Amino acid sequence: MAVVKRTLADQATYRRLVYLLSGIPLGLLWFVALVTVWSLCVALVITPLSIVLVIGLAFLTRGFAAIEAELARSLLGADAHAPSPPPPAGKFWARLRAMFGAGFWRAQGYLMIRSFVGFPVGIAIFSVLATALGLIFAPVWVPLVHGGAQLGFWSPHTFIQSLVLVPAGLVLLPATLLIVGPIAGAFRPIASGLLRSDDTTAAIAGMADEGVTPARARRALVTHAAVDGVVLFGLVLIWAVTSRGYFWPVWIMLPFAVALGIHGWFVLLGERPSLVDRFRGNRVLAATAGVGAVATAYFVAVWAITGHGYFWPIWPALGIAILIGALTVAALLSSPRHAEMAERIETLETSRAGAVDLQDSELRRIERDLHDGAQARLVALGMSLGMAEQKLADDPERVGELIAEARAGAEHALRELRDLARGIHPPVLADRGLEAALASLASSTPMSVTLSVDTANRPAPAVETAAYFVVAEALANATKHAHAEHVQIRIAHTGDKLELQVEDDGTGGANPDGTGLRGMRRRVEALDGKLSVISPPGGPTTIRAELPCGW
Amino acid sequence: MRVVIAEDLALLRDGMTRLLRDNGIEVVAAVSDGDALVREVMTRQPDLAVVDIRLPPGFHDEGLRAALEARQRVPGTAVLVISQYIEPTYAQELLADRGGGVGYLLKDRVMHVADFLEAVRRVADGGTALDPDVVAQLFSRRRQDGPLERLTPREREVLSLMAEGRSNAGIAESLVLTVGAVEKHVQSILSKLDLPQSATDHRRVLAVLAYLQRDE
Repeated sequence: MAVVKRTLADQATYRRLVYLLSGIPLGLLWFVALVTVWSLCVALVITPLSIVLVIGLAFLTRGFAAIEAELARSLLGADAHAPSPPPPAGKFWARLRAMFGAGFWRAQGYLMIRSFVGFPVGIAIFSVLATALGLIFAPVWVPLVHGGAQLGFWSPHTFIQSLVLVPAGLVLLPATLLIVGPIAGAFRPIASGLLRSDDTTAAIAGMADEGVTPARARRALVTHAAVDGVVLFGLVLIWAVTSRGYFWPVWIMLPFAVALGIHGWFVLLGERPSLVDRFRGNRVLAATAGVGAVATAYFVAVWAITGHGYFWPIWPALGIAILIGALTVAALLSSPRHAEMAERIETLETSRAGAVDLQDSELRRIERDLHDGAQARLVALGMSLGMAEQKLADDPERVGELIAEARAGAEHALRELRDLARGIHPPVLADRGLEAALASLASSTPMSVTLSVDTANRPAPAVETAAYFVVAEALANATKHAHAEHVQIRIAHTGDKLELQVEDDGTGGANPDGTGLRGMRRRVEALDGKLSVISPPGGPTTIRAELPCGW
Repeated sequence: MRVVIAEDLALLRDGMTRLLRDNGIEVVAAVSDGDALVREVMTRQPDLAVVDIRLPPGFHDEGLRAALEARQRVPGTAVLVISQYIEPTYAQELLADRGGGVGYLLKDRVMHVADFLEAVRRVADGGTALDPDVVAQLFSRRRQDGPLERLTPREREVLSLMAEGRSNAGIAESLVLTVGAVEKHVQSILSKLDLPQSATDHRRVLAVLAYLQRDE
């Protein structure tokens, strides 16, 4: 009873209920909109208009996914986000390709799940709730309706008779609310996993981040299956005691099975992340699944519109299912590292090119600084000394001036060389490590800096250097562009990676394609790390970097 | 005055030796690594060790460590650390170890021979010689609206020179003022910053540096 009380008192229950019920209008809307646009795409495939449609489809999917992500976030507490927008610049085809990346297909998948599972689940929940309320209020409406309530085996039609129905409704209502939690709970990891802007690994990590341990995930799956079983049993019972005609519960069973299957698949992926690697980068499988699901939906729609005759869409659906199955098996059997390797090679090629560029531009800068700075000063110094030598005999006063000039030139040259050396590799970094170097950096900026460094042992020099220059660049940006007053630097060396975060209170709006941030990114990527810059206009700016330390 | 030099670059080692000898300072040993420095300080007991921070084998801060070790073995040895670059961390480490005179200067300062010799003598006498760059960095850390703002520009100049470790006479010479005028400025600074009036230059430097390093 305590469970019932808690469930009924919990606001989350009602938020989840709203989410499940929202599947009715939204599932229908997504279905109609997407099937229409896809059909038009297919029909107009040979005309140039199809490109416009395809781009429209990408934006439509993104918009729908954004709505779904917002709902899943606020109602289910899922870590869901709209797929990232296409890059603002680049070649047309590259941008088009980016629009139809994994994020797009995942969003499609989620919208389809909402249509094919969310819609019937919503209808089922709605029906059961309506039934429960109908039973509770039976004494009010039964006497007014001609013929009373038709239960199949019995038709109460007076006020007294209908009082018998009230307890049944009073049991059914909380029972329904009890199953809302687990059913909506099954949507949560799916939303977290599919409504994601970044790559597959992050999607799996996103589900893990919710604090779902494998054991809990498994229990949730068992609960989900049990609830499905109870609901289906109830429906079959209702079917049995009522008409026993057309076996309509099959329409509830199908989506339940699909939802359970997807849930099970995610639990399996969560337990064995290595499985993900086998599917990562498998564009053929992703595209087949995406197009297959849409095509099936399209056929079902055609079948529904043309008058519910013989259910012929089963055949193409079966064909698509076999194709997807075969591709899945092939992916499972294929060298597990193959797809992953291909992706790694691509990443490494890019980051290596970045590293080479970075090194090249650094060397150019050093050469230019030496040429224009110290070298030129030493030439001038030599000239002063040469002139002094000439005048040694006849103009001692002028000699004194020239020597003073030469000394000033030497000092300037030294200063420039020192700054140059510091820019290549700050000596204190090598001598005393990251914390001392960052403290020194912090003390030379006009902002107030809070520094927290948590490193048990020193990371590799390359990692330290990259971290140092990322912070240096971030501090320079915070002063120069964001006009920040306070900066917080946090560095943690956990396990095999160094995590770094620089947060300022400035005006934000950093340009990710500016030289500074690009250089920063290349430095981080050269070490196979990840950099993220969050800088909304108006601020604040947060720069995070993750550097693997397994060097 | 008897001096030991530790500098790994022969060009600079010989130059420094010549510069000191030309000015009547006795260079009893000139070595090129930290171990040799410790050994020479122990056997020769000089008044002052002039040490390059970066020495073999690692070319990190072996010089600094060796100097501090030498001073532990022979208490009272004055240490003047010279370097191509200035790092406030090292200045703090040196100042924390007050077993005698300390100095931390950029190698560039050697070019101003008179100033450099003055610093050498000051450190050998148990005083302090901090590079103007270190002092400038300490100043830059202070808040813009802090008590330092209450000082006049002239007083700030005087405070910088005090932090470098200069005596009133040295400050007067550097700023082309009379010693009396400098004394007045010093009084005013100490009262504005709430620092104790100290008789010796040495204590005064410590108070000023402690003030500059203190967190606001």
